[in-house]
Amino acid sequence: MLTTYTISVFTTNTIGLLNRITIIFTRRRLNIECLTVSETERKGVSRFTIVIRNDNRESVEKLVRQIRKITDVLAVFGYLDDEIVFNEIALFKIATPLGAEPLDVKTINLDWNAKVVHWGLDYVVVEKNGSEEEINEFYAYLKQWDILEYIKSGRVAVGKTEKGLVEYLPEGNWEIV
Amino acid sequence: MGKTQVATTQPTSTQPSNFKTGAQAVMQSLVEQGVSTIFGYPGGAIMPTYDALFDYRDQLKHILVRHEQGAGHAAQGYARMLNKAGVCLVTSGPGATNLITPIADAMLDSTPIVCIVGQVRANLLGTDAFQECDVIGMSMPITKWNYQIVDANEIPEVMAKAFYIAESGRPGPVLIEITRSAQVEVMSVPFSYKKCESIISYKPRIEPKEEHVEAAAKLINSAKRPYILAGHGVLIAQAENELKEFVEKTGIPVATTLLGMSAMDADHPLYVGWPGMHGNYGANVLTNSCDVLIAIGMRFDDRITGDLSTYAKQAKVIHIEVDPSEIDKNVKADAPVVGDAKAALKALLPLVKKADHHEWRAEFKKYDDEEYEKITKKDLFHEGNQIKMGEAVAILSDKTKGEAVIVTDVGQHQMITNRYYRFKKHNSIVTSGGAGTMGFALPAAFGAKVGVPDREVIAIIGDGGFQMTLQELGTIAQSGLPVKIIILNNNFLGMVRQWQSMFFDNRYSFVELQNPDFITIAKGFGIEGHTVSDRSQLSDSIDTLLNSDKPYLLEIICEKEENVFPMVPAGACVTKVMLE
Repeated sequence: MLTTYTISVFTTNTIGLLNRITIIFTRRRLNIECLTVSETERKGVSRFTIVIRNDNRESVEKLVRQIRKITDVLAVFGYLDDEIVFNEIALFKIATPLGAEPLDVKTINLDWNAKVVHWGLDYVVVEKNGSEEEINEFYAYLKQWDILEYIKSGRVAVGKTEKGLVEYLPEGNWEIV
Repeated sequence: MGKTQVATTQPTSTQPSNFKTGAQAVMQSLVEQGVSTIFGYPGGAIMPTYDALFDYRDQLKHILVRHEQGAGHAAQGYARMLNKAGVCLVTSGPGATNLITPIADAMLDSTPIVCIVGQVRANLLGTDAFQECDVIGMSMPITKWNYQIVDANEIPEVMAKAFYIAESGRPGPVLIEITRSAQVEVMSVPFSYKKCESIISYKPRIEPKEEHVEAAAKLINSAKRPYILAGHGVLIAQAENELKEFVEKTGIPVATTLLGMSAMDADHPLYVGWPGMHGNYGANVLTNSCDVLIAIGMRFDDRITGDLSTYAKQAKVIHIEVDPSEIDKNVKADAPVVGDAKAALKALLPLVKKADHHEWRAEFKKYDDEEYEKITKKDLFHEGNQIKMGEAVAILSDKTKGEAVIVTDVGQHQMITNRYYRFKKHNSIVTSGGAGTMGFALPAAFGAKVGVPDREVIAIIGDGGFQMTLQELGTIAQSGLPVKIIILNNNFLGMVRQWQSMFFDNRYSFVELQNPDFITIAKGFGIEGHTVSDRSQLSDSIDTLLNSDKPYLLEIICEKEENVFPMVPAGACVTKVMLE
């Protein structure tokens, strides 16, 4: 059975590092479901959040060790879904031409916990945060209108540990952002 | 800039008002790092650095190879002998791509090399400029680290980091690419070089964890049939004496991997040969009879394990390894010990009990005897007229007392050499194991000789592999270094032919060679040599080779269709050893 793993990779901010990391996935023929990169609360430290689905825990553990081996990688953590708090964000661009069925903004706000973030001349942009499943369900609901564009971000995730993950990085004179 | 201004051997120097160009900074960094030798080939994008090198000729010996691949393999041979990084200097584009094979080879065989390659001017990057090539992208999967320098000020720090990464932990190749503009521009800060001692994101564990050592010792002390596989990590950590002390105390039989050859004296009573596809009978079969398998500085390559699902399943596995990503990669470790082989053996020694295991050791002897009867005897004492590869190597081994540095290429001769050369001296094998790079031996032997000019260095090469890098005869001739070269010529790509004969129904698909006159070629380069095909002349011919005080090429015409045994077919269980 496929299990979703979230891999958090902390690195120094170096050009080409994304390439070095993805090469390891390519070599092992592992497909990346989604990937998000951002700077952390420590200056010069980037955080990659990579989601993969795999049926073999051992091969994920090997992957994690191979990533850790990269010289510019500070730390790698692999998580199952119940070990993290995670979210994604989606934007839907929906056509609202004259005469069309009006968008039910109230339901979108209250029932779906989503909001309109931009009113165009004959379209609106709706933003929805949540898990992949919630976003997929919302997508299904929105299909009654004409969806011009749909985009979803990768996962962002924080661990359900007492300490922040940056506390586990090698000791150094880290500057807080 | 005059030579007097830059001549300093201080490990750390700050010279105010001494603003160097990037190219000078590269040279000064090499000097301060303690580099004495560079293997290289000039070209457009690295010319400013070669110009700076002209002023450093008295501090840095540059060896001009004939092809960049030769520079890479020579740097590998040099590094393997001295346990420090070999340095290559080449230009961008094809200069750098010609280094790709040695870099991949060095990655698989954990060899420290630092490759300094040129690149087009920074403003031309990404424009498909002349001799521009994305070498950073290409070398990423086969380097331990690589970095592109576009700012001359970065040079000292990046160079220091390059050597630290290449040499520390599990060694490997590092590639530093420097744009032509960064070589030409003058640094805006005074040059200052400090050797790198640590990197925040890279902290190799040398000293193993105490609890891991204790767990391993406990397993060893309770073992009835323990067996050691010692790998390249023992040579890299220079832990040969610790290994000897450890096995003599514990009485555990030891096999060495192809790259770990010479870690143990071949005539030591506890030495049982080597495991793997063409390794010894007992060393393979008894892997599946031991109760504790102790792997030291090796990575369970598929050429050793064969079928993983049947490999050493009965044994508890202790895996001593400096690279944590190797633990559990192929074989699950019951007691992993992450650390350097020397440190781990030192830590283990006081915790292990004295033992003898003579009954268990006697089992290896039984297999040895059978192997001797079925294979060795036929190889060494046959009645035929034609020379067998094995006897040539055995004579060489006797005549050099097992003390030479042996550099092999890849194929049948490589297996035969490791079978019949009785290594008596540590760190004496240079071979391309993981990558299996044909063409490796000639330049690697040259590099090894540059590293240890006082040792006898002998390259043993097949007729196929020799033709892949034979232009390095020119480098050898120009250096005058007495590298000894043996071609075991069977007019075939022998190993492929053997497989075709055994597994492809004798369909010899493109393996027969029409060879040139190797001696004429050597003479064309100014290297003496001769051919021997008569068995009665073999011994004298090897004497001639060894007695030469100049480089010398001995071509030995061998039996054409000799097969190498024992053999564990690819992917088979290690007990399925074919003896004929």
